[in-house]
Amino acid sequence: MKKYPADTVIGYFGFPRRKVLREARERFGLDLPLVDLDVDRGAPDSGIVDNALRFGSALAAVVAAVGEDKCDRGRHAAFLLRRMGFPVIESRFPEEEFENRPLVYSRARLPLREKIDRIMATVVDPAAPEPVPASCEPTHGFWGVPPHDFRILDLFPETTHIYGWTRCVEAGRPSDVELECRVDEGIPTVFFTQSFCAKQDLAHYLAEMHRGLAVDCHREINDSILAKVEAFVRLSR
Amino acid sequence: MKIADCGSTYSKILDLDSGALEIVATKELVRRKSERYEVATGHCARGRCAVYRNELIALAEGGLALVAEGDFSLVDVGGRDIKFVRLKGRKVEKLDWNLSCGSTTGATLELLGNYYDIDFSTLPPSDRWVNVTCGVFGMERVLEQISLGTSPEESVAMFLHGFVRNVIDFLGRPAHFHLSGGFCENPCFVRTAERYCRVTPLGRTVLLEGLKKGLE
Repeated sequence: MKKYPADTVIGYFGFPRRKVLREARERFGLDLPLVDLDVDRGAPDSGIVDNALRFGSALAAVVAAVGEDKCDRGRHAAFLLRRMGFPVIESRFPEEEFENRPLVYSRARLPLREKIDRIMATVVDPAAPEPVPASCEPTHGFWGVPPHDFRILDLFPETTHIYGWTRCVEAGRPSDVELECRVDEGIPTVFFTQSFCAKQDLAHYLAEMHRGLAVDCHREINDSILAKVEAFVRLSR
Repeated sequence: MKIADCGSTYSKILDLDSGALEIVATKELVRRKSERYEVATGHCARGRCAVYRNELIALAEGGLALVAEGDFSLVDVGGRDIKFVRLKGRKVEKLDWNLSCGSTTGATLELLGNYYDIDFSTLPPSDRWVNVTCGVFGMERVLEQISLGTSPEESVAMFLHGFVRNVIDFLGRPAHFHLSGGFCENPCFVRTAERYCRVTPLGRTVLLEGLKKGLE
């Protein structure tokens, strides 16, 4: 196996098939850290491609979710990264590999930020949590993908349940649209998407159907968006 | 004790001891470096108050203070954005805040009015409208209309009509809504909105009423 410099990592985005991630690690180095390129890592524009460029030669490979389990941006990012010379391994998560993992964090009484962090960590390490956090009845809901700017999550109480794509990730079913659209009736829910994401169509439809609040933002969240969510969380109790 | 609603274009300041209300252009307020309020809301209030209140919460509480009905829709049309709450059984059923694509439409209307010397108290509503995607795109439509020979008055009234349609769509096309903000004092805006539904103007101090309620 090739010897890499100490700061080398394997990048990934979305929810690649577990088999593809495992094979990438076996090929490039079992000891290389896996890093999610689709989160804010401080790059100037903080998108997948910007994050990859920031890692530069420290990126041994990119495992790219490019199927229905990820928005079109994933496919386009993989295309661009390959053209830029990064080794890209594509993954399309098939229905036959759907799992039925228990929704521990989606229904746990914990800070929302922590729950989403822990769910996204299950992409790399699906081991069952130990100890299992206590579950709770939902008072609020957060539907969608992990936001780039996590400040919005701090406005929600610990009794917020997680729905949408993030819940699909915890269940191990990243392209299960039926599960993605399932929310608890009567729970005030914020339907969050990044701006210009195709999931906005779903978010607006579901927000209208469930009298929730559709929120989108482009890159970092501004004070007005925070105020809107704060008011919804408080006034819809 | 002073409370304030410091909007993007106008600020409303209420002295609770004397009852005096001051409405000042925010461009003037920002020059008053030392002025401070006990409680305030609005885009320009941060850093000028001991306690900052969320605008949508102030709007909802102001509506509850001023409207006796159990079910009602209330919209605050500002210079920079549009805020909306719908209450059912005096509980918030839906709220929203049009932040970006509708941004600065109200302020743009004032700029256009000043540029073309429009008196909104006498401006007749227009049957026609232009698409007001946002302030800048709407202004381009006005300039286009004028270049085609439409009068500045009619063109600005068409902008206002397009803006009103945006507001009513944003509210979900209700049969009746309560209006908050400076557009309560714009008869052309109110009469244009009345083409679509019943409108009850509540004036410019709804958010201040909400702040007062929060002090109780």
